[in-house]
Amino acid sequence: MTAACRSSRQTEATIDLTLSGWQSNPAESRLLEKVILQFEKKYPNINVKHEVINSQYMDVIRTRLIGDVAPDVFYLEAFEAPTLMKYGVLEPLNSYITPEYNLKDFEPSLLNAFKQNNQIYGIPKDFSTLALFYNQTAFNQAKIRRPPQTWDELIQVSKKLTIDHNKDRKIDQFGIGIAPELARQSFMVKAFGGALTQNNQAAFATPESLKGLQLVVNQYREGTAAQPSDVGANSNSEAFGQGRIAMAIEGAWAIPYLKETFPNLKFAIAEMPTINNRKGTMAYTVGYVMNRNSKHKQAAWKLIEYLTNEAGMKTWADQGFALPSRRSVLIDLGYDSNPLYAPLVAGSKYATIWQAGEILPTILTNFDNQFISALLGQQSLSLAMKKAQDTANREIYLSN
Amino acid sequence: MLTQNFWSKQSTREGLSGYAFMLPTIVVLGIFLILPIIYTIILAFHRVQVLGEVSYRFNGLKNFVRMADDDRIWIALQNTAEYVAIVVPIQTILALGLALILNTNIKGKSWFRVAFFLPTVTSSAVLTLIFMWIYNTNGLLNHFLSLFGFSAYNWLGDPDVALKGIMIMNIWATAPLFMVIYLAALQDIPESLYEAAAIDGATPWEKFWCITLPFLKPVTFFVIVMGIIGTFQLFDQSYIFSGGSGGPNNATLTIVLLIYQYAFKNLQMGYALALTLVLALIIMSVTLIQRIFFKEESLD
Repeated sequence: MTAACRSSRQTEATIDLTLSGWQSNPAESRLLEKVILQFEKKYPNINVKHEVINSQYMDVIRTRLIGDVAPDVFYLEAFEAPTLMKYGVLEPLNSYITPEYNLKDFEPSLLNAFKQNNQIYGIPKDFSTLALFYNQTAFNQAKIRRPPQTWDELIQVSKKLTIDHNKDRKIDQFGIGIAPELARQSFMVKAFGGALTQNNQAAFATPESLKGLQLVVNQYREGTAAQPSDVGANSNSEAFGQGRIAMAIEGAWAIPYLKETFPNLKFAIAEMPTINNRKGTMAYTVGYVMNRNSKHKQAAWKLIEYLTNEAGMKTWADQGFALPSRRSVLIDLGYDSNPLYAPLVAGSKYATIWQAGEILPTILTNFDNQFISALLGQQSLSLAMKKAQDTANREIYLSN
Repeated sequence: MLTQNFWSKQSTREGLSGYAFMLPTIVVLGIFLILPIIYTIILAFHRVQVLGEVSYRFNGLKNFVRMADDDRIWIALQNTAEYVAIVVPIQTILALGLALILNTNIKGKSWFRVAFFLPTVTSSAVLTLIFMWIYNTNGLLNHFLSLFGFSAYNWLGDPDVALKGIMIMNIWATAPLFMVIYLAALQDIPESLYEAAAIDGATPWEKFWCITLPFLKPVTFFVIVMGIIGTFQLFDQSYIFSGGSGGPNNATLTIVLLIYQYAFKNLQMGYALALTLVLALIIMSVTLIQRIFFKEESLD
């Protein structure tokens, strides 16, 4: 009787939900809108406002969380998750998840990125690893038959691929593109057994970490690798598409971009070359999280559930900007057998998730700043990393 | 007694009506100007947590002591000081030069005035994006330099030149504003002075040195003060140039950008506000020093 009363009242009042995220591509947004429309049809009393924030996403979300005007459901990158989980602004989702939702279907490492003290604060929507993109035309011209399997091979191949076509002493094609950012280099830190953090402190200036990073610096100093700005591009995928670099280490998001922007480009993708006889790559994941101060938590969960259950995920995950986080969907959509995506899927077995606790943003700024000066040869790598680590740790100490 | 009372009453009434007229301004300024300043000063001595459960904890001078240990502040201060020291003199001299040229009777005077003034009315975000294209490794500037046999610079990625790129852009964009101010001041100088000087046999250079410049002194003071305040507060250009990081290698990190990073990226409001106070103090003291400097000169 009471239940009936409540349900009839619920249908009368419409609930307004806000869903915020960024958009990597208009096509992706259109698909999401389609799923949201289906959702609104299924739950006529819930009205979803989809809002796209494309610039400085986290600054906007943080400011809105502070001002208590944050969206009910929003995207969150794994590496920003620890801070928000720590401050308790996210709703724990354990009590909402039903057995039918089949949480076990999610890749465990992705789910762990949004877990703290056994509480689940977010549902991973998709992910991507890094793999080696190579230009087949450039490889054929240099008579290289297969993509490099080890990092030593990669360095050798890069030398062959660094070409000055018109002999004006300005290199027209570099071997490989380098992104001098911690987000792209932290697997190099781990390659020889180093670690980003230890006991909630920066710890990347150890000899083991330096060994991996030195490979990148040496190659850049030799002139067989380039940053995007060296070749006048905004990103490595752009430089790769323009043929200014013959290899790039990129993720799934680059595939639709390259196909659309550079339709004549012939490229293939291989798994990351092994370093120190070990496989390694990065994985980036984005999840849906719920605002703890949301006024309509039940409705918000319904939305998250609808977007991340098998049917919902299937609808919008077939565009290939990222890989779906549910294993069943990944297999159903055939990503693991698609030659372009298979290396990225394979990488998920040995990838490290881009996340290192709430101190990562501090570490990141200091690493990026010093690493680039080492890359440019202004100081030695060991000195640069020592400085970055010390500054980061002092900032971490002082902010507590 | 009675008259005195009446008199005082009228004065209070006058005073009251005066304040009543000013009330809207007082309320608006109070809420949006005075209150935030007071709030800033108070919070600068606190450790503030704004995300999640809001909490304030008094921590005395800790925020200020922390600055001495913060390398990035010194880098930001150094960058900002270098920026001010180079941009302000050049843009002032350039503005004066342009104003002097446009004050003569050259052909197409008003066309030049509009053309020079255009960069100032363009949004700085748009200008920055245009300049980023010009500074691109394959961009216009490098192409131009290569005509003279210079090698290509990575203007956006090389820490040694990134800040200079912003300097060039800012000088180009702000000099015209000050040019207009100089132009207005130049037209206020009585023509008779120049005529008298011409009769005395003064050369154009002497006219400029002994009539024009002294007359422009108050305007120059204004231009330099506004220039210094504007350059100390450099934010949007370096923000767009570096994507908010202040890179490469902290080369485009300015004080305001650092404050932004602490406030909105690291959410350390108390520390960011303490930095804001220090910046305000720096600007105030620089302005005061100039005032003394300019006053002494005018006494001579």
